Amino acid sequence: MGELAADKHVKYIISVEKKKDSFESVVMEHLRLNGAYWGLTTLDILGKLDAVDEEDVISWILKCQDESGGFAGNIGHDPHVLYTLSAVQVLALFDKVDILDADKRLDKINVDKAVEYIVSCKNLDGGFGCTPGGESHAGQIFCCVGALAIAGALHHVDKDLLGWWLCERQVKSGGLNGRPEKLPDVCYSWWVLSSLIMIDRVHWINKDKLVKFILDCQDMENGGISDRPDDAVDVFHTYFGVAGLSLLEYPGLKPIDPAYALPVDVVNRIFFSKK
Amino acid sequence: MSTRENSYTEAEALNLLAQLERILDLDPLIDEVGFIHPSQFATLKEEIGDSLSLEDRVHESTSFWIRDHKLGISTQILIPVYKAAKHAFISALRQYKTPGNFSGKSQDDTLAIEVMIHSKALLLLSCDFATAWNSRKLIVSNKRLLPILMDELHLSALVLSYSPKSEQAWSHRRWVINMIARNCSTLQWIIERESELVEKIAERSKMNYRAWNHRCWLVSFMTREQVLDELKKSRNWSGLHVADNSCFHYRRRLMLRNLEGFCYTQDNNSSGYFVETYQIWKEELDWNESLIKQYVGREALWLHRRFLSMYLIKHMATHLLAVSCQSKPKASVDIDIDSLMDHELCLVHSCSTTIADANFEDFQAQAIHSAAYMLWLTKQIPEYQGIDIQEKLRAGVGDVTRMLKRSCPDRSSLWDYLVGYHSEP
Repeated sequence: MGELAADKHVKYIISVEKKKDSFESVVMEHLRLNGAYWGLTTLDILGKLDAVDEEDVISWILKCQDESGGFAGNIGHDPHVLYTLSAVQVLALFDKVDILDADKRLDKINVDKAVEYIVSCKNLDGGFGCTPGGESHAGQIFCCVGALAIAGALHHVDKDLLGWWLCERQVKSGGLNGRPEKLPDVCYSWWVLSSLIMIDRVHWINKDKLVKFILDCQDMENGGISDRPDDAVDVFHTYFGVAGLSLLEYPGLKPIDPAYALPVDVVNRIFFSKK
Repeated sequence: MSTRENSYTEAEALNLLAQLERILDLDPLIDEVGFIHPSQFATLKEEIGDSLSLEDRVHESTSFWIRDHKLGISTQILIPVYKAAKHAFISALRQYKTPGNFSGKSQDDTLAIEVMIHSKALLLLSCDFATAWNSRKLIVSNKRLLPILMDELHLSALVLSYSPKSEQAWSHRRWVINMIARNCSTLQWIIERESELVEKIAERSKMNYRAWNHRCWLVSFMTREQVLDELKKSRNWSGLHVADNSCFHYRRRLMLRNLEGFCYTQDNNSSGYFVETYQIWKEELDWNESLIKQYVGREALWLHRRFLSMYLIKHMATHLLAVSCQSKPKASVDIDIDSLMDHELCLVHSCSTTIADANFEDFQAQAIHSAAYMLWLTKQIPEYQGIDIQEKLRAGVGDVTRMLKRSCPDRSSLWDYLVGYHSEP
């Protein structure tokens, strides 16, 4: 089996952070905060978060905050809940969540209604779509199962049925796809895998083959991980590949929480600091 | 990419932006946008010839190309034009939103027009620039006139022509349709057109989740007639795309919607409704079977069958019981679960015997799918079904499980669980 080229991946992520002038990077500037979350969490899992300037990152994130309290994907853009999540996650990595005006907490959200909505997105195959009646999709399933886990409502999930649907995502090469008949993609190593872990059915797939698939998706020369072997790499897939390996207990990686998608020590730090 | 893109001055970039916006203004019927490498421009320019039209005026430009309402933009200028568009948009939006600038109606309109012009150019270059979509929603919601709303549909269709997975574009369409829904007379026609648009986009963007999700969303606006019509109309397309799980999910959505309607019908027509509904399900099963035999080893077809037989057995059988007791005359269909199961087991058996051709991946896949389908049936059959059925299922399960563990060992734990060797927490 190949090896994880950790140093190369660290170098790759740092280089992406610096290179902002390609067209691809320019037209994705509205979601830079997501990119920050992917890149920085990967660095933390690899034990190299200190490779970036914490001050720089945090001051930029705070500039993305809107007067409503929400965060935009980049400076000057409209706020959105997706980027707000990434902002909170990145601040958590640096143990700086307390600089936020923590006015919005779980008790301010109607958790029961939220759970009700999620359950209404459940399909007959045990999976979840993005809206009621939507096709089951591994990414949506992760969001729903993760949310139910956080809300303490996993009893709404038919674990056997969903586990069956999820384990059928593993194809011959060992990789996982997101829906029937689709090609395997490294990012599903996260979404399918973390879902399986949350419902205690991860033994229904072949973990060794999945590890091999993820390692095959690395660019061993330039660093970074791609969606499938021999394709171009990007930060998004680099993060999900490394996170997937962490869930599979690959040696040398920090353990990651399957529901919060943050290193376990970061999540524990937040919970233990609550009074 | 050449370094020329970095050497555009601000003035040059603004000029390019002005050119783009002028083109968009002069030809409101542009329905497709593409990005062309500069080296291909020379070839395309030659094809234009001596026309006296918009094309002529654009002919001189080395950055834009237009023909038959198709717009081509040189990849070389993308970054400078994007930056200019973004700058112009943000500045216009800031002015529009500044209180005190709403002093006179004409001034308000001018600022709004600026925002609309610049956001349009920006969205052609960066289709998921949410702030730009948001600003258009803000301005349009102050007007709410049908032609303006249709313009928004046109713009998002233009964006989808080169970026069919843009969630912002699809979501904008739903926002517009919700606005239009208050004017009922055009709604049904719009829903039909939307459904056709999705099918067109799905043709070249296979299993496009967002496109199909949009189509599923439309179903809640459909009348029962439209639902049945959609089932009929989309059948041919589905038959030609048997590996597209999304299109079969759409059919399931339609069938469930039709069933919902039945559940709420309590009048004397209910038995007729039921018969029709049952026939639809039966036809779907028969059609699915013909596809399964024709297109060997297609996962999407088998998954569709899981849904169909499960629903028929679990839900419609109970409905039949309820309806036949009430209706006069009695419902003329007879759901015989026994013969249904016999039929399914026959089908599974016929697919399994092709294991002899295990050298061919498709036949092996067919055997695996049919075996998994059989295990699915054993799990889905409610306990109150007759002993005969339970025994028939149990008889076949041993062989099937052995075969599955051999040809699909990655899922051994699942197979063991399904036949009850282990229990799960």
